[in-house]
Amino acid sequence: MSDTPRVGTPGTQTGNTIRDSALGLVPETVSEIIALNGHVWNDTIVPPALLEIIRLRNARTVNCVFCKSVRYDVARADGLTEERADMIAPGYQDSALSEREKSAIALADCYLGFPAGIAPDLAPRIAAAFTREEIAAVLVALMTFNFTSRTAVSIGGMPEEPLPIIELSVSVTTD
Amino acid sequence: MPDCTSLTLDRHLAPAGASAESFARLWAGLWTQRRIPPDLLELCRLTFARLHDDAGEMAAANPAVALAAGQRDAVLAGQAPADPAYAAALLFAEYYWLDAQSITDEAADAVKAHYGEPGLVLLIEALGLIDGRIRTARCLRDLSAHTSAKEAAHV
Repeated sequence: MSDTPRVGTPGTQTGNTIRDSALGLVPETVSEIIALNGHVWNDTIVPPALLEIIRLRNARTVNCVFCKSVRYDVARADGLTEERADMIAPGYQDSALSEREKSAIALADCYLGFPAGIAPDLAPRIAAAFTREEIAAVLVALMTFNFTSRTAVSIGGMPEEPLPIIELSVSVTTD
Repeated sequence: MPDCTSLTLDRHLAPAGASAESFARLWAGLWTQRRIPPDLLELCRLTFARLHDDAGEMAAANPAVALAAGQRDAVLAGQAPADPAYAAALLFAEYYWLDAQSITDEAADAVKAHYGEPGLVLLIEALGLIDGRIRTARCLRDLSAHTSAKEAAHV
């Protein structure tokens, strides 16, 4: 992994962390990416704590050091304590997470896997845990978290060592 | 939904509402922007289809893009294009697909030499969208197939 960023930033200080990042170099996409992030967090039928669980699962799989250090305020307000966040790890199946939360992690792992896909024995469990609308919302959120974290890793300049946990307001990444 | 691919995904995600609409707009914008040629992005999609060994994705054709004769078959066969800009982008795409952490500075510099820093950022974003949509389509196809089979078994 490159220890220096491969591209610069637009040099703006708008207060929006996405717009002020390297993604701001592409005006054709950055506004829709910000809007998408806002819709994922603010206009979804899936609770923020559940979204945060799949975001953190993705962050750990992609190994995005920045993403792993962030905790969104709305998820903490929705009950995702640090103790519960620590359960999103190997062995989560035996943790105190709810069955619905475990099913969300299982779906995330299906998406993130090589090959991606849902095994026959797992599909009924996922279909039972979520409505059709919720599955669509979780998958849109997963795609959003996945492509933004992989973008951060691809651009480079990420520290090797873990960063301290920081709470971030969703509002700094949305409109 | 056996027909679900990265190219037809949006209608299957529509139940998610506003987030799906926004994701669809971002996707649609890839095929009208001018930083990276859309036919190159389609070759990236076919490259990922090959790497995923996804027959449905490989068979699908993007109606927004007209590929030159032979381009499609060459990429599906794993052959690097003769155009150095296209070759650089497709090599970068293969690193990205394998693991974003495996991308070398040389591979990134080669893309920047042809498309600049904004072009590299746009390519990275596009690769994430393409791969994410292929992955999601696979999950939805499996979910439909396996739950339909189970429901049928109970009838």
